[in-house]
Amino acid sequence: MPIFAPKSHLYDSVNLEAAKARLTHHTRKSVYEALNLVAYIDMMTMLVIFLLMSFSATGELLFIQKNITMPDAQNWTALERAPVIGLSKDVVTLDGAQVAAMDELSKDAATGDAKISELYEKLVVLKNNYKLLHPTDQFNGIAIIQADKGVEFKALKKVMYSAATAGYNNVNFAVNARSKGGGAAPTE
Amino acid sequence: MGVSIQGGKGHRKSLNADLNLVPYIDLLTCMVAFLLITAVWTQLARLSAAQKGQGQAGEETPPELQLKIVVVVNQEGFNLVVGQDQTPIPKKGTEYDFEKLGTELKKAKDGHPDKNDIQVASEDQVVFDTLIRTMDTALSSRFVDISLVDTGAAGI
Repeated sequence: MPIFAPKSHLYDSVNLEAAKARLTHHTRKSVYEALNLVAYIDMMTMLVIFLLMSFSATGELLFIQKNITMPDAQNWTALERAPVIGLSKDVVTLDGAQVAAMDELSKDAATGDAKISELYEKLVVLKNNYKLLHPTDQFNGIAIIQADKGVEFKALKKVMYSAATAGYNNVNFAVNARSKGGGAAPTE
Repeated sequence: MGVSIQGGKGHRKSLNADLNLVPYIDLLTCMVAFLLITAVWTQLARLSAAQKGQGQAGEETPPELQLKIVVVVNQEGFNLVVGQDQTPIPKKGTEYDFEKLGTELKKAKDGHPDKNDIQVASEDQVVFDTLIRTMDTALSSRFVDISLVDTGAAGI
């Protein structure tokens, strides 16, 4: 079988008039066109820089619950790992599990005791677990309250009181971080 | 993309060389994919608050001699209490006047630069958003030790 020097050719079935014309008229120009990748690489580089700026290595300590709209704050500090007490307009949750209904909190207790018993018991269990798992560490008593903007202080203070009686005296309120200019907060 | 090097006369071979950008584009694509997956679009943070207005550990000043700064939040607006002085800050229409509260708190801080603790005393009907904005205003005025209490517990 003879060996031919390789050259550009097209199958007859391919009806590419412009390409055929180029090939058959023995033009000097190559049919191969280099793609201009400069714009693409520029765009990718900008995208990487933007995403690196918004990258957070700490991970998600708190998840936004769909029925809770958190307030904004400018003078914020970074979140710590702690039990999360959620207060929506309907329910009170501890780490996602319901511990009370908001209707109950809105009413005045007949006994005058503002403590939410289920929340209190679960927080005590969490505190005891922490002490068992970290016998050398001092218990810091931090709890995060993730409350909706529209929740009244009447409900909030019962939650805070329950947390305090269970040993969680340092209450942190979860907020949406805002910078002084009003835009999104810079990452730490 | 190519690198052009001017060759001398009589050279047949072109000195233009193409950079192989495929690994670079691969790397960028992988980085974009990874960063998009791990991106944090909403920055969540916290505001700290103590629950009672007790003094700091080790303080020897009797409570009755300590100057108390309290921001009372009620349905009518704010009432800034600095010791025996009270400054009512009524609402602007239906909105709380956080701007004036900030100004008054800055004045109080300038008058008592060593004072870092403040109490926010709230009525039952005040909503959480108002309390957070009040605490945020107090933090902006360099009161870093904030206690959130009931109006009854504030003792005013």
